[in-house]
Amino acid sequence: MTGEAGRSCPACGQPAAPSDRFCEECGADLPAPVTDGGPDVPAPADVDASAPTSPAARRGVRAAGPPAAAVCTECGGEIADGWCTTCGAKAPRARDHMVDRPVAWVAAVSDRGVRHHRNEDAMALIADQPPGSRAALVVCDGVSTSADSDVASLAAARAAVAVIAAGSVGLAGPGALAGLLGARVDAAALAAAEAVAATGDPTGASPPSCTFVAAAVERDLVVVGVVGDSRAYWIPDAGEATVLTVDDSVAAQEMAAGRPRAEAESGPQAHAITRWLGVDSPDQVPRLTTLQVTQPGWLLLCSDGLWNYCSEASAMASTLRAAIDRPAIDRPAIDRPAVDGAGDHPDRDDPLAAAAALVSWATAQGGHDNITVVLARLGTTATGTGRGNGELE
Amino acid sequence: MTDFSASVYQNEYLADGSTDVHAIVTVTCAGAGRAGQGESDAGEIVIVDVSASMGLEGVRAAQDAAAAALDQVIDGTWFALIAGNHVARLAYPFDGGPMGMARMTPQTRAQARSAIGYLAPDGGTAMGTWLELAAGVAQSVPSVTQAHAILLTDGKNQHESPAELDVRMQRAVGHVQVDCRGVGAAWEVGELRRIASTLLGTVDLIPRPDQMAAEFAALMAKAMSRGVAAADLRVWAPQGAQVLFVRQVAPAVEDLTPRRREVNPLTAAFPTGSWGDESRDYHVAVRLPLAKGVGQEQLAARVQLAIGEQVVAQGLVKALWSDDDSLTARINPEVAHYTGQTELAEAIQDGLAARAAGDDRTATAKLGRAAQLAAETGNAEATAKLRKVVDIDEAATGKVRLRAGVDKLDEMALDTASTKTTRVRK
Repeated sequence: MTGEAGRSCPACGQPAAPSDRFCEECGADLPAPVTDGGPDVPAPADVDASAPTSPAARRGVRAAGPPAAAVCTECGGEIADGWCTTCGAKAPRARDHMVDRPVAWVAAVSDRGVRHHRNEDAMALIADQPPGSRAALVVCDGVSTSADSDVASLAAARAAVAVIAAGSVGLAGPGALAGLLGARVDAAALAAAEAVAATGDPTGASPPSCTFVAAAVERDLVVVGVVGDSRAYWIPDAGEATVLTVDDSVAAQEMAAGRPRAEAESGPQAHAITRWLGVDSPDQVPRLTTLQVTQPGWLLLCSDGLWNYCSEASAMASTLRAAIDRPAIDRPAIDRPAVDGAGDHPDRDDPLAAAAALVSWATAQGGHDNITVVLARLGTTATGTGRGNGELE
Repeated sequence: MTDFSASVYQNEYLADGSTDVHAIVTVTCAGAGRAGQGESDAGEIVIVDVSASMGLEGVRAAQDAAAAALDQVIDGTWFALIAGNHVARLAYPFDGGPMGMARMTPQTRAQARSAIGYLAPDGGTAMGTWLELAAGVAQSVPSVTQAHAILLTDGKNQHESPAELDVRMQRAVGHVQVDCRGVGAAWEVGELRRIASTLLGTVDLIPRPDQMAAEFAALMAKAMSRGVAAADLRVWAPQGAQVLFVRQVAPAVEDLTPRRREVNPLTAAFPTGSWGDESRDYHVAVRLPLAKGVGQEQLAARVQLAIGEQVVAQGLVKALWSDDDSLTARINPEVAHYTGQTELAEAIQDGLAARAAGDDRTATAKLGRAAQLAAETGNAEATAKLRKVVDIDEAATGKVRLRAGVDKLDEMALDTASTKTTRVRK
């Protein structure tokens, strides 16, 4: 479909196939290939112009940019072909540590952790500039027993976020709005599943697969959908935190049957998931939850690399509050990209600092899995839709 | 176009707390062309022992061998003939003037042949002087950057102390590569091995004088096929790491560690001499300064081949800490094989030395271990040569008996062949 030869990643130089939209090595966006107009490669410009996200906000689907360049993060030595020339440390690939902050009130950090050799988690964010207004947030956790799961999860997250952000909600009333956002999350899961299926050989022994958690934020209305065991939490500044999702996992089934959470989640099959996105999944329809935001707080999406260490909503809330009190100080250059308007917000409302702190905290707990945290600061706008009282619907 | 490549064989998985990394790096050269093809020239030197012990018959065979060797030298190549006894004499060119070598032409070839005819047995043996002269001759022609010599002897180095030999040998390092051949049973394997090892050559036994010509022709043909004049193996290791050893393990075991020359604080160079179209295997062992956490990965060594300052091939040796025993417990087959072959060479040499010293108990133990290792690593040549020195009752357990009345030549053949390795059966 394209005659462009020798295409390669502008960030890390890896060769790329003509149809690739992002680098399989580092995850950076690839420039759109010159196509013959075939309908199978939607260019960014194809996205509905009336979508409720500004072009600037769409920068949200960028990756962390070029690999942390020529300097070793451990000793400051020079990097040559991926390794430090002084201490031999492996230079982190951009794909192993991704940071995004499309607007001041939404941010995410995704990290390889300690024990895993690569980061198979991915996230994608699109948000509007006004604080607490509109956002599409997605986290996908690649299933590590299948091949190319890092590629699959990134493709899934990016496909899904575009679907959620596309189109206008128009003048839909409160009831209709929840249905509309829910339908969009459903469609996003479908798009993500298709993206997963397209990344690998579906007939292979272990076709690529990943989990899916997505949130569609429309001012103080949030619809969350989940397939697998990635989660969403609502952590209000005051009051009780809630887990917005139910895992598709053996542990969740046991809990449904009455087993205590701590016991179920530490069992031998605790991490076996019962649903996922991928050609071999039994069912890929997300389980939806609607949240009406009535006060300031944090919407948190994460992979099990974080919640493994603080599963209960109350534990997650106290971990987040501690993280806000004590922001991460490591890797400031990577974790704090310059963002327009970022300086206008007090530190305690900084989603990036908090997300980075949570990732550092999970790493310090052992980092047994990849860790991805998405945070959105909600309920800070005075012009809510004025319904409800904070109940989960 | 000369093309080098490097491949690394290792188990990069390290158990929690481990710091030692072992790897076999295979360096392969293709398209080397012929010696002296580039801007610089090749030089070939034939060194013939003409001490009295050679006798008329021995010298006559050596004359045939020298002539056969020179027949293989391509026209245009610089060459010289050295006659050695307790002193070294330049037998050809007759009147070198400032140049100690002549270019091979039909005319000089004929002159050299007649010079060979004048060689006659007389005097003692001082090989250091021969090597010193060979190095001087090689240096006398500035365009010669690849000088190679064949040294033939039949006896021990009697007219020179080991210290004198060392000093003279060191003067030749970097100027000439020397393949050593011993004829008969009166020379010392250890002595020639030391010379060959220092001067990046090989050592072997020529049992009978009538076999010399063929051996010399083959050696010279091989030297002429080495189109790459000189290359270094470079090993980079991380700051604080210790390079435990760098060892060539195929085609023969050769410890390169003592040849170490610093390139920069983290990189050492080990000269490997000239290269033809061939493959050599190196065993590199590095001790990292600290064990990283499980899941962490780091580079343990860069193993490169460099021609001058230019790196032409590179292999990366990695370390990856894991808590999965099934990954960390596995010994890489190449590393295991060559570790066995190296131990085999040591066991044979130690066993023969013990036997010579009359320590039959040690000799039996060492040669028994050698028989066991030769069987384990599938080294049929070593097994065959061992059988001439010991009766192998049970190879698997290393049970052997020393044979009585062993032919000295068989012992020497076992000794010289001890460092030759077999490659891993893939």
